[in-house]
Amino acid sequence: MAAGVAAWLPFARAAAIGWMPVASTPMPIPPQRKNKGQDGLIILNVSGTKFQTWRTTLERYPDTLLGSTERDFFFHEETSEYFFDRDPDIFRHILNFYRTGKLHYPRQECISAYDEELAFFGIIPEIIGDCCYEEYKDRRRENAERLQDDEEMDMSNDVTPVNLTYREYLWRAFENPHTSTLALVFYYVTGFFIAISVMANVVETVPCGTMPNRSKEVSCGDRYALAFFCLDTACVMIFTIEYLLRLVAAPSRYKFMKSVMSVIDVVAIMPYYIGLVMTDNDQVSGAFVTLRVFRVFRIFKFSRHSAGLRILGYTLKSCASELGFLLFSLTMAIIIFATVMFYAEKGSSASKFTSIPAAFWYTIVTMTTLGYGDMVPKTIVGKVFGSICSLSGVLVIALPVPVIVSNFSRIYHQSQRAEKRRAQRKTRLARIRAAKIRGTNAYMRYKQNGLLIDSLEEEAGQALVGKAPNPPFESQHHHLLHCLEKTTNHEFVDEQTFQSNCLEISLMNKSGSRASSLSSSPHGLGSCCSRRHRKKSSFSLPSTNNQELSTIQIRERPMVNSRSSLNAKLDETVPLKCDQPYITPSMVSLSAPVVTSSDGHGSASTTPYSQSNIVRVSAL
Amino acid sequence: RYRVTGTLTITAVRDAEDDAELSTVCYRPEGLDRLVQQTNFSKKELQVLYRGFKNECPRGVVDEETFKNIYSQFFPQGDSSMYAHFLFEAFDINNNGSVSFEEFVVSLSIILRGSITDKLNWAFNLYDLNKDGCITKEEMTDIIRSIYDMMGKHTYPNIKDSAPREHVDSFFQKMDKNHDGVVTIEEFLETCQKDENIMQSMHMFDNVI
Repeated sequence: MAAGVAAWLPFARAAAIGWMPVASTPMPIPPQRKNKGQDGLIILNVSGTKFQTWRTTLERYPDTLLGSTERDFFFHEETSEYFFDRDPDIFRHILNFYRTGKLHYPRQECISAYDEELAFFGIIPEIIGDCCYEEYKDRRRENAERLQDDEEMDMSNDVTPVNLTYREYLWRAFENPHTSTLALVFYYVTGFFIAISVMANVVETVPCGTMPNRSKEVSCGDRYALAFFCLDTACVMIFTIEYLLRLVAAPSRYKFMKSVMSVIDVVAIMPYYIGLVMTDNDQVSGAFVTLRVFRVFRIFKFSRHSAGLRILGYTLKSCASELGFLLFSLTMAIIIFATVMFYAEKGSSASKFTSIPAAFWYTIVTMTTLGYGDMVPKTIVGKVFGSICSLSGVLVIALPVPVIVSNFSRIYHQSQRAEKRRAQRKTRLARIRAAKIRGTNAYMRYKQNGLLIDSLEEEAGQALVGKAPNPPFESQHHHLLHCLEKTTNHEFVDEQTFQSNCLEISLMNKSGSRASSLSSSPHGLGSCCSRRHRKKSSFSLPSTNNQELSTIQIRERPMVNSRSSLNAKLDETVPLKCDQPYITPSMVSLSAPVVTSSDGHGSASTTPYSQSNIVRVSAL
Repeated sequence: RYRVTGTLTITAVRDAEDDAELSTVCYRPEGLDRLVQQTNFSKKELQVLYRGFKNECPRGVVDEETFKNIYSQFFPQGDSSMYAHFLFEAFDINNNGSVSFEEFVVSLSIILRGSITDKLNWAFNLYDLNKDGCITKEEMTDIIRSIYDMMGKHTYPNIKDSAPREHVDSFFQKMDKNHDGVVTIEEFLETCQKDENIMQSMHMFDNVI
């Protein structure tokens, strides 16, 4: 927890003297210092390089190899030092962790070697300091990707698993054409037909010589109408079959139908079917002709076959805002110059600048340095402004292009880095929270163990220590926190318990009105201590969480002795103050069937402890 | 009451980037023997204390920011900055905005190795924020509120807003014998010495080092 400033713990404890005169309850007993004066130097021999440090430095982190008794396995009697057959360069960083409390990652070390050393010495990598954490995570991810690529390559050479369903097999074949020969064949066939279809659309419009009974040239599409129609039908049939097969094979049909590729597929084949339906109606033939334009979208189907097209589409999408802004600023410039040119050329006769929208065309053509020449200014003012327009056009058009290009790469990389950082931030915050919760839980366990051990010692007269006692630093820190609790007469709880308490209290307040008809015992607002005597079963250690609470409640029978002694002991030593506002008469009805000792039942007012206990038991 | 001695050296370092002079303050305490005389600590204890001190404050003095930072690591759940501020004021004997090792060790010596009257005096000095010889209700409320702040949000039962004030009221009821609204040092000493719990708790941290 605060092991990095372990050396300041004596100061923190001494400063607690400021709480003593104002404390409302007596202080708990401090832990006994065992092994006083064992602050000696330890020699660590790592493959010949000798490191020395204080024993207490190592013992700051008792759950690592060096801080626990595990290091005794490496003790070398002849030289009375601890010998480790590991890499001394990496060990330097590990020892620095004990000294400063921060673990650093050296950039020149191999990530897997470093991970191995950390694992050997029992140090979790999550405590790497902020300065090195990003680098560490990046290297780790690269390493993991490399391993995964190796695995995938191995895997793709293996025989495909036979227990795929037909549908999954089909989907896999569609998505990855290299899995089987059939998929590859299908892939090439569809590609071929896309190309054929596009070329047919193009060739259709080429003039193909005159027909016998007509004088002007007709396009190939009209001359060989039947051939083209058959070709079109064939292509559309292939596309339709492909689309339906994909639809059938897709693991999530709804998602598939929403995807861009499927929309392109639909747009590619729709015109044909619409055309089939509407051939005889002359009025909508104009619309029908328009629909044929959509056939060109078949070329987008190539993006399934080409990764480059996909990347281009993605980058355009990601740069949409930049492009939009560019468009907006261009529009502003166009409007300004068009207005100026219109008013400048208003005077001249037979001017082509009939309106401002008409001048838009001139402005665009001039600014992009095209200069078709179909509209030219004739007045001097117009020519002046026209030249300004073309000069500024060079700037306005030429500037954004490299900006867009660099924007592409910048935005692309930036978004990747931002996502990485967001993910890391979340895990880092989770780490910090987990560390805090761990600290709190350690403290709760300490208190629990302390109270239980005391009571059980009283009973059985022997130390029933289930787990190893805490190291001196931890127990002293916990004692300090315990003193603070006693000073303020409130207790630390973890977040979950706190929130569940809040919920219960709000529930209690809500149902308070309902149960007001219950009779209240004469001990209504009396001290909770006397009630505690009588409520043998409903008292429990207030700081435990729900799980433990319920188990303690259930185990009340065999442990009733120790519980009552616990009660008694606490009653003697702890004159608690009850918080009056939390007393409501409401919860007794819920507890009636469950809680066994019935003395305290009639009492309407209970302490918050007992109330919440009662609620939890009944919730079981 | 205590003379704090030591050498304060200010070395000027030219920073290559800004081409400006940065002055680093390096503080070295007077010899070990001198400190052994001034305090009730043994040589070994002073060594251990200094090593820890220098580790966190390589410059030899600790400013209020670092002080608060260190203290907050022991109380991660709440906000200990106010109480740390009061502590800092109590430790900084010569009121120069930083606590040197001598001031640090002298105060610790009083708290851990001093007589009971010394300890109570120190505690009184801590509470008496404006050092005018008596504790008013406002001062006490500030102190107690800062202690409650260290508990943080997640407590059981919930800390109400009136809890510090009630605590202060009970404190004054106990301590303020002549009911004049302030607690003087005599009243404080008298009441504390009569209260067994307080006497016992004052000795609790004696063997912390």
